[in-house]
Amino acid sequence: MSETVLPLNGLKIVAHAAGVGAAYAARMLCTLGAECVLVEGPGGSPLRAEPPFLPRGEISALFAYLAAGMSSRVIGLASDGGRAALGALLSTADIFIDDTQVADRAALGLDEAAIAAKHPDLVHVSVLPFGATGPKAGWKAEEIQVQHASGEGYLLPNGLTTEMFPDRPPVKIHGHFGAMQGGIAAALGALSALWVRPQLGGQYVDISCQDAMLSVGAFAIQRLGDGSVEHRVERSFRYGGVIPCADGYVELLTLEQRQWDGLVKLLGEPEWALDPALADSLERSRRGPVINTYIRAWAATRKVEDIVREGQKLSVPLAKYYTPIEVVNDKHEKLRGLFQPVPVEGAGLLNMLVSPFHFGGSPLRLRAGPPALHKAEDVA
Amino acid sequence: MKPLSGIRIADFTVHNAGPFCTNLLSQLGAEVVKIESAMRPDAFRKPHPVYGRMGPATFDQVSSTKLSVRVNLKKPEGIALAKRIVGIADVAAESFRPGVIGRLGLGYEALCAVKPDIIMLSVSSCGQEGPDSHFAGYAPLFGAWGALSDLTGYPDGPPVEMRHVMDHTVGMNAAVAVMAALMQRRATGKGTHVDVAAREVASSLAGEALLLAAAGGTPARMGNAHESLAPHGVFPALGEDRWIAIAARTDAERDALAKLTGAATLCDDAIAAWTSTREANAAAAELQEAGIAAHVSWTTPEIAADPHLRERNAIVAVREPDGTARAAVGVPMRLSKGAEIGIHSGTPKLGEHEDYIYGELLGMDSAARKALEDAEVIY
Repeated sequence: MSETVLPLNGLKIVAHAAGVGAAYAARMLCTLGAECVLVEGPGGSPLRAEPPFLPRGEISALFAYLAAGMSSRVIGLASDGGRAALGALLSTADIFIDDTQVADRAALGLDEAAIAAKHPDLVHVSVLPFGATGPKAGWKAEEIQVQHASGEGYLLPNGLTTEMFPDRPPVKIHGHFGAMQGGIAAALGALSALWVRPQLGGQYVDISCQDAMLSVGAFAIQRLGDGSVEHRVERSFRYGGVIPCADGYVELLTLEQRQWDGLVKLLGEPEWALDPALADSLERSRRGPVINTYIRAWAATRKVEDIVREGQKLSVPLAKYYTPIEVVNDKHEKLRGLFQPVPVEGAGLLNMLVSPFHFGGSPLRLRAGPPALHKAEDVA
Repeated sequence: MKPLSGIRIADFTVHNAGPFCTNLLSQLGAEVVKIESAMRPDAFRKPHPVYGRMGPATFDQVSSTKLSVRVNLKKPEGIALAKRIVGIADVAAESFRPGVIGRLGLGYEALCAVKPDIIMLSVSSCGQEGPDSHFAGYAPLFGAWGALSDLTGYPDGPPVEMRHVMDHTVGMNAAVAVMAALMQRRATGKGTHVDVAAREVASSLAGEALLLAAAGGTPARMGNAHESLAPHGVFPALGEDRWIAIAARTDAERDALAKLTGAATLCDDAIAAWTSTREANAAAAELQEAGIAAHVSWTTPEIAADPHLRERNAIVAVREPDGTARAAVGVPMRLSKGAEIGIHSGTPKLGEHEDYIYGELLGMDSAARKALEDAEVIY
């Protein structure tokens, strides 16, 4: 896809992001075609010092991924000149994304009222772990707190892992899942506010990563209302789930009758599976642990690729547990253009994930790799 | 003002990912017309024994704030009726397996014929094109394909399957894509077909690890450990299955943690010795007061009752059909000029809004509707 047809071409974003949530919002909008300027302090964004780091160097893979396609301006907001420089940037921007702690904003001229007074048409997006308002707005959080404050932390792991390690503490989702939910919600909020800007002018969008993580975990609240309190030990599928095979793991989940019928065929129509009682999904649910014993015994001697290929032919939902390098090299993703070689200073040309979206049948494209860190601008 | 007031969505999505997308957009003000039939009702109108629900749900989060009409897509007249709904919509959203919507006669080109600037959203496991595009899948499979699950879990254990958070993050991603397409349509006058691949959403949430792998590194499961933060983990609190997540980033935080816990040498065992004698929420507040990132590993009832989340409308009270209150999840944002956003109605009854959609919007008289009902087109 050429740059001229990216959906958000023409939009201008300014991001002042020390954390993953705000940066991820900017990345999403940038990848969709917006022009994004990352405003960094004189020492560079703290994200440049966040792990993981690329091999044989001190380059943050996290920063490289988050800042790809952006340009950088190094501006110290402690000085009047720095704040004026940011003000000039904001005067030409459509969206400002900021994750400065609320208590520090006024001194930097970044509080809601000051921004609204100077830039009435700007969409001002705040992204913080617990949001900018509410009793916990000032609470500190890293990723692990976001996941546990929103409920999903308590509910993981499940299935096979809880069978193997029933006494271990809950385990978090890899990386920055919760902060990224905040970023996705921020991108949604920014575009929603921008959509209505012709009628309302600019406005302030307050995003909490906890809220966003909770929203994607809404099913637990749904279940609570239905009368069930979810717990990681009981949150396993009655049958299926993570199935160990001879050379790895597959995920199996059959929700519909035809999928169960396909599974029975895949298993070779063994006598236990042909029990007429198992035609009833409620009975299958009740006998889940026994069914799983049979499935695991069957899978233990078979290879992942064979099981997935043959199962999907029968419309049985089965997936291989891919490792990261398998995703990078996967022929399906190569054909879909999920990755794009981009230059990363100090590391060369690297295949970087672009976006999970296609528009008009084409993948999106990154403008560039992550920006180099320049000297602080002389704004005195 | 709800920001998306005036946007109408013809919603053919099923299960969770697609419906969550359109639910978010409905909470933001879009008028979402949920299209289903008595032959193929929404999953929440049926028992769901794999999840242990043996009857229909009385409230369905992802169907809330939507309108409902019946259309039997198995009949040509039903397809024609669906096209009439698309003809008055800005967005058509679907989440069938790739190819299905086209075979029904409702593919992108067919919809463009009735609404040239339509935005069509397709949400699927593996995307509309590619050798795996025909694969069936649900949330745990998305995480498996995308490597997010391989990276989650204990180093000495198996991968951990993602659950509904995976479905719903696909939906929230899709909502962003729809908004981008709407912005593009405003700028160019042209619609487009948006293809969201759920497995690629999973990968996008581990993009830094995939970049590391592409550079020759070997990202792997780390449990609750962190590459640079220490201490960092989940520690036992007083009581059964009570836990506190604690992380320290700076020396000042580590010093404060050592002082608070009385640890001569700060280590996980020393922290656990302190936390295990304390009520979880009181300990977390004490840690926060000392400047340390901490939060209890909250259960769902604790979340539903939390004053902070209630004040932010992240948790809202909704009414069951019998009038009793229950908690639901609001759209995760606060807008300074959009206080009205959020859930405004519960799960619609099947066909509840046909007077409005078929009568007012499409101008069908009662005889025409009766004829379609008799022919099991409106069914």
